[in-house]
Amino acid sequence: MSAITNTSDHGHDSALHHQFEDIGQQNDSYIVGMWVFLSTEVMFFGALFFIYTLYRWNYQLDFYIAHEHLDVKLGAINTSVLLFSSFTMVMAVQSAQLKRRLHVIGYLLTTIVCACTFLVIKYFEYSSKIADHLYPGAGFATDAHAAFGAHAFEAGKLAVNMNHAQLFYALYFGMTGLHAVHIIAGILVILALIRLWVIRAKSVTLDYIPTEMVGLYWHFVDLVWIFLFPLFYLMPKPH
Amino acid sequence: MASQTSHSHEHHIVPTSTYLLTLILLVLLMLATVWAASFNLPAIGPFSGTVVNQMVALIIATAKALLVIMVFMGVRWSSTLAKLWVASGFVTLILLFGILGDYTTRHYEHQHGWEARPDGSLPRSTPDEEVVPPINANDLNVKIRQ
Repeated sequence: MSAITNTSDHGHDSALHHQFEDIGQQNDSYIVGMWVFLSTEVMFFGALFFIYTLYRWNYQLDFYIAHEHLDVKLGAINTSVLLFSSFTMVMAVQSAQLKRRLHVIGYLLTTIVCACTFLVIKYFEYSSKIADHLYPGAGFATDAHAAFGAHAFEAGKLAVNMNHAQLFYALYFGMTGLHAVHIIAGILVILALIRLWVIRAKSVTLDYIPTEMVGLYWHFVDLVWIFLFPLFYLMPKPH
Repeated sequence: MASQTSHSHEHHIVPTSTYLLTLILLVLLMLATVWAASFNLPAIGPFSGTVVNQMVALIIATAKALLVIMVFMGVRWSSTLAKLWVASGFVTLILLFGILGDYTTRHYEHQHGWEARPDGSLPRSTPDEEVVPPINANDLNVKIRQ
């Protein structure tokens, strides 16, 4: 109730917009709205996870051999980097609630550094796949021995179906690529948010919600990776 | 300034220790999943070892996802309406994966290029393999799933 009186006193300084009863209702509206968007994102990535499940189900062994080119260590490092960036993001939101401006900027910058680290590691991963011609298209894995090693062969004959291996890499590049696009979008949004904090924009300093919205998006990106990591890097050997 | 202090009780400020603990748990779960993947786990009941391995990895991933959603995304402290919307996306996802139930219970699948043949469509009631002698899959333009 006090929030309403405050708007009438100095409306331009309050975070509360006129169409809301109180700040609690306003915050709730923002959070629900953000989750509506995130629900569409869940379905967007969900369809891709479904395609993955279907083909993995059918071509278990081919997918297993194809996945061995992926480096678990790099995947694990990238997972840790993203988990840590989620932590710094949540600390930025907490600092925004406590109105500690410099802390917010510091935590957001750390989040961006983590995001860039993730992309750099991803760049090296992609490079090693491209060097072995492991991208879908004509000339896929022209040198199968270099790409998959000796255990992809049985009695001198190739034991992996190249079409199915190609499908694995189409999914790998498609899904991690789409995730990387989300990381890049996240970096841009966080940069815009930092700018608002630097210029002391009232839209962020009076109200922690814009920072919280960016945080929710960033955690979602982390969430997708939490599932991508075991599904692509930690495939169990068919036994 | 009065407006800022007056509504500070409206949103829950989570202590840093909670976030730090969550981060530590998340990293430990990440290490656990990598560690679990280094073993060929034994089969349990109808599930082969491969499936058990995959289930362990997915259960750990779900635990991590729940930690991120509940603590980092603050769903634990948000309103029922917000929680309902959080659930909506994942419920839709579960419905989507329900299609797999249909997929796995079909005994036949189309041959490559089935749509080009005039007799390419399959009758709704597929003869049961055990009752009727094995049909020539080429005639029906379908093949029996391995």
